Amino acid sequence: MRNLFKIFVFSLIVVLAFSGVSFAENEVEVDKWTIPFLNSVTGPIASIGEYMSWSAEYAAREINENGGIRGKDVEIKIYDTGVEPDKGIKQMSKVVDDALVVMGPVPEAVIMAAVPLAARNGLFSMPVSTSYEYAQKYFPWTLSWYPPTDEKLPPITELWAEKNPEMKTVVQFVEKWAAWPGMADAHQIGLENKNVEVINIEVPQNMVTFDSLVVKALSKKPDGILLTTNSNKAAKIIKQLDDRGWQNKENILVFSSADDTPLYTTGGKALEGISIYNYINPNSDNPRWLEFKKEYKKAHDGKNPGSLATNYYDAVYMIKEAIENKKITGDPDKLKEERKMIRDYTRNVDNFEGIQLTWDMEEGIPDSKGAFLFKIINGEKKLIGEVE
Amino acid sequence: MSTTFNYFIGFSFIYILMAWAIYLPYRVRDLHFLTVATMAVTAYFSGVAAVNWGWPFYLVLISGILIGALLSYIVSFLIGDVPTFTVVIVGITFIFITKTVIENTDYLGGTMGFFAIPTVDNILLIMTGIILFISYLLFMIDHSQLGRAASVIFADKKMAYSLGIKPKRIGKLFQTISGGIAGSAGVLYAYFTGSLFPDFFSFHLVGTLMTIVFIGGYSTMWGIVFSALLLGGVPILLPSAVSSWKNLIYGVLLVSVILIKPDGLVTKKFLWKLKNKIKGM
Repeated sequence: MRNLFKIFVFSLIVVLAFSGVSFAENEVEVDKWTIPFLNSVTGPIASIGEYMSWSAEYAAREINENGGIRGKDVEIKIYDTGVEPDKGIKQMSKVVDDALVVMGPVPEAVIMAAVPLAARNGLFSMPVSTSYEYAQKYFPWTLSWYPPTDEKLPPITELWAEKNPEMKTVVQFVEKWAAWPGMADAHQIGLENKNVEVINIEVPQNMVTFDSLVVKALSKKPDGILLTTNSNKAAKIIKQLDDRGWQNKENILVFSSADDTPLYTTGGKALEGISIYNYINPNSDNPRWLEFKKEYKKAHDGKNPGSLATNYYDAVYMIKEAIENKKITGDPDKLKEERKMIRDYTRNVDNFEGIQLTWDMEEGIPDSKGAFLFKIINGEKKLIGEVE
Repeated sequence: MSTTFNYFIGFSFIYILMAWAIYLPYRVRDLHFLTVATMAVTAYFSGVAAVNWGWPFYLVLISGILIGALLSYIVSFLIGDVPTFTVVIVGITFIFITKTVIENTDYLGGTMGFFAIPTVDNILLIMTGIILFISYLLFMIDHSQLGRAASVIFADKKMAYSLGIKPKRIGKLFQTISGGIAGSAGVLYAYFTGSLFPDFFSFHLVGTLMTIVFIGGYSTMWGIVFSALLLGGVPILLPSAVSSWKNLIYGVLLVSVILIKPDGLVTKKFLWKLKNKIKGM
């Protein structure tokens, strides 16, 4: 009996010891989780970079107030890339040895310059503000936040054409910057599916006055205008059209990347009645979204969240979910394998509950994400349609 | 060696080469910004040769050096013996032309940039070898009859003519060598970063190089090594918040040095004193 007891106690100690080892293996090794975010907070797209940083930091604040990730606070560390690939490479070199995962880079030119360095070093990047075509080049070391552009965008321009059946000819102003030419092509596919002829006019990046371009566009006698340019240029072109007596404002469509503060501050009343699309639904009744929107407006002089405002908010939560579900420790000795665990988890996450919608990822590509079509009435976006 | 330190060394080496490419023609008062355009041309040539034509690295490197030298020779031949101001204008014009051509050529990636240039094993070692070779070349020039003639031209061009020195010929030679150095910097930059973007080869780079040359000191080749490490490389090691103020820091430093020590921090006199001190020890 005594021997049996001894064996029992010994077995218990062995079991406890092993389970103890197993607990120790999964203990968090860091004082706080630091997530680097290579973002463009200076330069020509600084206004977009600012709100993307804000939303990532807001997500971190929310998480920390609710107990952090595995009991530890999370910190978003911003590394400014400007829009300079060279600077992006230098910034990536600062994080590539130690980071578990990196958010960004922003924008596309920096992605193409800096992500290869991350991929060579086994660091997973989450450039969640870019289109599929840029992210996909570096699979499996990136994921795409959107389905392929030529699948994602045609339905939204089709919807716009359906709502304005009198449109037969559309002039599209295209600024050849980042992912925008690809988006312009996708807009064209949707319109042509609805038998609308599309005439593209290139907008030079350094152009500041648009009289000549607008005159050129109007000479084509279009009954619709599509703006695939930055927000400031889009606003100025709309003002020019307004000055020249353009009547049907709903037949002017502004693309998602121009849905940014300068559109509204420069465009003013000339925007009244125009159409605009983006990927977030301001009318969502998700309590997290309502709280986000309230805080965003408080921090941005009452302005509504921009088109890409929720991307990095969701990305922070996706990383949180990966760390918690895969029991990531942050132990430098396990860096290589834990980076892969985060990569594999986020690229194939099921039922991820974003701030606006729930979606699945399969091999780095989301199953489906909606887009929303709005009309600007009294300076506010009013939802007039959506596509799955 | 950490990745950050790798990049610190790599970028510092590229800045040293480019600053030397400015320094050499400035020995005869030619402020030769054509080097920046030359760097852009050879960098893009490297990208196309490596990615589209599949050329091996060493062939690209040699071709890049030759292209750089040839381009500089042709331009120096055409502009002849002109004042410093004219050389500056020609250089700036070439930067503008090169950048515009690149931005409007889809084959070169346009405004978006040119990417996916393959990496080369031991690139830092190759860079070190090139730096050593060029430093030896410049050292030999500085300490030769050619170097002394250049010093006379720098001090007084008319006196140089009266002594039988030919400023035009020396200027042409120095510009050609500097084109070769800039050519090598372009090739190394392309392989080191793996990506090219037209905005890099612009007035911003001119400003950085001017700061490196004039803070380090334009009368010897060694000040540049010190200032390139300090101004070109250190921003990589600085925290992001500080490195965003880089241009302001450069500007303040440049103005301060020009006001307080117009010849730069490392001068011939300084090196001579240093040498004597070391001997005395």
